Amino acid sequence: MRLTLSIPALLIIAALADADEQTDFFERKIRPVLVEHCYACHSSEGSDIEGGLRLDSRDGMRRGGESGPAVMPKQVDKSLLVSAIRYESLKMPPEHKLPDEVVQDFVTWIELGAVDPRIESTTPAEIVKSEIDYAKGRQFWAFQRPARHPLPSHDCHTWCRTDADHFVVSALRENQLIPNPVADSRVLLRRLAFDLTGLPPSEELLPSVERLSEEREYQRVVDQIIGSVTFGEHWSRLWLDLMRFADDQAHIVGNNKELFFPNSHLYRDWVIQAFNGDMPYNQFIELQLAADLTTPDNMEDDVALGFMGLGPKYYRRSSPEVMADEWEDRVDILSRGLLGLTVACARCHDHKYDPIGTADYYAMAGVFASVEMFNRPLNDDCEKNDKGEAKDPQDAIHILRDREPTDLAIMVRGDVNRKGPIVPRRFLTVLSNSDPVTFQNGSGRLELARCVASPDNPLTARVFVNRVWAHLIGRPLVATPSNFGNLGERPSHPELLDDLSVRFMEHDWSLKWLCREIVMSATYRQSSHTQRAGLIADEGNKLLWRMNRKRLSVEQLRDSILNAAGELDSVVGGESVDPSDPSVHRRTLYSHASRLKLNPMLALFDYPDPNVHSERRALTTTPAQKLFLMNSPFMVEKAAAFTKRLRHESEDSDDWIDRAYLLLYSRPPTPEERHAGNLFIQGRNDQLEKYVHALMIANTALFVD
Amino acid sequence: MNIAIDRRRMLQRAGAGFGMLPLAGLLQKQSMADGEISGPHFPPKAKRVIFLFMNGAPSHVDTFDPKPKLAQFEGQQPEGLKTRGSGYMPSPFQFAPQGESGVVMSELFPQLAQCADDLCVIRSMHTDTPNHEPGLLLMHSGSQQPTRPCLGSWASYGLGTENENLPAFVALCPGMPVVGPQLWSSAFLPGNHQAMAVNTSDMKLESLVAHLKHPSFSRVAQREQLDFVQQLNRIQLGQAADDELNAHIRSMELAFQMQSEATEAFDVSKEPLSVHERYGNSTFAQSCILGRRLLERGVRFVQVYYVDKGKQPWDTHADNNSKHRTLCADSDKATAALLLDLKERGMLEDTLVIWGGEFGRTPYSQVNKNNEKAKLGRDHHATGFSMFLAGGGVRGGLMYGQTDELGMHAIEDRVHVHDLHATILHLMGIDHTRLTYRYSGRDFRLTDVHGRVVTDIVKV
Repeated sequence: MRLTLSIPALLIIAALADADEQTDFFERKIRPVLVEHCYACHSSEGSDIEGGLRLDSRDGMRRGGESGPAVMPKQVDKSLLVSAIRYESLKMPPEHKLPDEVVQDFVTWIELGAVDPRIESTTPAEIVKSEIDYAKGRQFWAFQRPARHPLPSHDCHTWCRTDADHFVVSALRENQLIPNPVADSRVLLRRLAFDLTGLPPSEELLPSVERLSEEREYQRVVDQIIGSVTFGEHWSRLWLDLMRFADDQAHIVGNNKELFFPNSHLYRDWVIQAFNGDMPYNQFIELQLAADLTTPDNMEDDVALGFMGLGPKYYRRSSPEVMADEWEDRVDILSRGLLGLTVACARCHDHKYDPIGTADYYAMAGVFASVEMFNRPLNDDCEKNDKGEAKDPQDAIHILRDREPTDLAIMVRGDVNRKGPIVPRRFLTVLSNSDPVTFQNGSGRLELARCVASPDNPLTARVFVNRVWAHLIGRPLVATPSNFGNLGERPSHPELLDDLSVRFMEHDWSLKWLCREIVMSATYRQSSHTQRAGLIADEGNKLLWRMNRKRLSVEQLRDSILNAAGELDSVVGGESVDPSDPSVHRRTLYSHASRLKLNPMLALFDYPDPNVHSERRALTTTPAQKLFLMNSPFMVEKAAAFTKRLRHESEDSDDWIDRAYLLLYSRPPTPEERHAGNLFIQGRNDQLEKYVHALMIANTALFVD
Repeated sequence: MNIAIDRRRMLQRAGAGFGMLPLAGLLQKQSMADGEISGPHFPPKAKRVIFLFMNGAPSHVDTFDPKPKLAQFEGQQPEGLKTRGSGYMPSPFQFAPQGESGVVMSELFPQLAQCADDLCVIRSMHTDTPNHEPGLLLMHSGSQQPTRPCLGSWASYGLGTENENLPAFVALCPGMPVVGPQLWSSAFLPGNHQAMAVNTSDMKLESLVAHLKHPSFSRVAQREQLDFVQQLNRIQLGQAADDELNAHIRSMELAFQMQSEATEAFDVSKEPLSVHERYGNSTFAQSCILGRRLLERGVRFVQVYYVDKGKQPWDTHADNNSKHRTLCADSDKATAALLLDLKERGMLEDTLVIWGGEFGRTPYSQVNKNNEKAKLGRDHHATGFSMFLAGGGVRGGLMYGQTDELGMHAIEDRVHVHDLHATILHLMGIDHTRLTYRYSGRDFRLTDVHGRVVTDIVKV
């Protein structure tokens, strides 16, 4: 035996002073080696226990097997395990010797006292035994039902227009800040139009700026915009990002497109219609999980089942590991997307930070193990397979349906081959009042949907309200919109979030009500100008002393350019298109959304990866984006079309400048801008195209103030 | 606000390239802090990496792992396996030790033989699956599902780029490989860490890089236009010091400069004829030349794919021997040229070159549809295969690990894909257990909970 420790080992020991770090050392260096190289023969999971030695628990190691204790803390020379892995006594593992540094890790670990957290006995049932104190967990803010709050007192009553404003201004006053005044009417009109419809204000709306400072006119304009069909088109993207909408799969074998979704657009159209018809959000959820069960006579809504029916289908679906991965996707979309909880973290072990056990995960995954993705024929004419599915996905809607209900066994550490106890299908414990009720009907989809879309669920309304708020205000109240758990951020305005969430539910879970409530507020109507005091006290504008300037999304950017060029196609709904093709004039939300190869234009401007749930859009500013704006065929052709339109409408260069500003920026140019434009064009015909292209790519065109 | 400091801060942040984050999330300071490059954890041995990917999977027993025993067992079926072939198939190729170190390789690599003392051949690779898609994904991202960032994206996230006018990570591939862009995806890492994908099926500059040139403007005309754009931007900015708007102004300037920088970098026709002759004229060879030009100009991570019109050339289910003869001839010439070229430029020392595929091929044969004895192939094989590394701090002239005597399983000094990833990051100065990204409530890393640095192959 070696009595002296090597220098690296000493350094490690110095660094591993406390017990947590020693446990961490065990988890990183020791346990993985035991699992990979030893458990097959020396654990309760192995075929049989060689030499009577179990290495899958602390006691098993210390008790040892037929030859004596395998590990004796701090006594390397008496620990048989060490001489065995050094190939000095037994030769373990038998197939090949472990690398020297791994052997050294074991020596270090034993020198340190062989800290081993596996104190539990190790039958699978006990490994997965949960230690979570749910009653205590339920006390966390996000698991408490939101309640209405009395309006706070403050000295700014005249500024306030809606309840939300009182919460905002009271927090501002506590920090000796004052909110900005109302924005200029032109700015406000442009803001309303882009935020609510994704488009600049239409020409028929533009004259309303004159009277927009009148409350009744503002209200009328808001109602008119919210009533437009472009509203549902725009808001559909909020949902489609969240549910990873796509037309295909991340892989293709040969030319086999069987797993693709050629009719996914029918689902997209359904979402647009649901938002335009102001379908209550709770019903919206229920239909997407269980339309076939809630309204079995109405086949129209079944396309909503694309919510899960359009999910990723991974390669090699026949294997249990791959199906387990697919269930994780479904659980993740439902939990992060709708509940703001990272339930998928509990697939391998109890959630480390939130009261979510592996049993909760498998209880929910069981629902998805009890359904199958199904290509239901659009009509009876097409060819079907023996399950009644359309042979060609082109002839089908892509939905799901129940199959034999299956309760899953917990997979110990996520391993499909290590089965723990079976968990009945049910909802999350922490979101149930006491012990959760086992689902009884079929897969349990409808019961699951009702648990999610229930006014008793403390999260669903809050999570959705937070997303809508973020979209309109440019900053969420909870900065981690898909994680309301312990590792997520706390709300900046908790009472505002709660109050708005309760009223949202009281107003029949109406998206249109919620939008109206937010855009009617003084908070929303503020100018985006900076103030010195605000910058000093709250540079990030968490307290909302000004309106956030918002960058246009790729959809808004491309649509506004098509609109200026006079080309935008206003037809609602329909098949997916290629957005970078200059001859395609449909709105960008109708873009083909590919998991296999995302359109480069979309990818360039932060469109999310449709393979997974997107919490919110990234915001990048890159030279590649600028190259696209400067040189791409799309931009060059649109500049030409815009120029042609201006020339067609007038022959006077002053008119061109005014008109270009109105169409692109929804306002006339300032004298300085007009002067600069005139100098640039100098009445030269060939300069006009260069000029409008410049306006299309200048910063003003990329933002909404 | 102090304008001078602000400007300096901005220039620091502009450590940019096609998509450097520092210019990115200026609105979201918090997320920017998360996304900022972490820098190396310790001094790197490899400053840049070029991964030559033999898509389809080369046969280890025909290239770097001689198995004379196969002759003795020829025609025998491997125990316990149902195969679609006529049993074990010895390699028809001669193997010999090369260089002073005596690294063994088959006769298919006459040029690489000259570089033997620089090669570190790992003969004990193993992976989890013998299927292309999950195998490719595992080799690229450490996971079999298309939901994780790839190696190059992690490197970009960890280290950034060295040339602000070029991207940190470039993937050179003629057409699309199987699986497609998920192989170079940044997944949940910020989008700027995704590879710039370059289709090398046409090496003409206009085809290689999108939007690098305006279809009609001269440089002067475009400068005039951009000056006007920036004038408008300054009018909009007024007196305000605004990080976000400034970032856009700066980004536009970078784009303008990049037009010339990238034009130069991506133009392989600028290389003298002697270089073209040395590498060869195949698509793979030309991609290697381009890869070297990019590395030279500060690109951090280059993936070069040996792919042919979306097909996997190395997937030799039929006619293994003659196909390996052709493929190796091409790969041998270009790879050796790259190694020598890097060496002559003094770059091999800190450039890591990796050669290999997603797994290996069976030591036993596979019969084609027509049952032609002369055209036997080899099937996918995951439990033992070879790859080699060179330069960038690896020990040259080394054969590491072993498979069993028939080349079926890695048995000694086994190196899993996760171990390879851990080792590559280690060479780049990154501790694979500490390069993490918080997403979906969890700290993710390339090697997940696995990975062991193979210190035996690292130069001391």
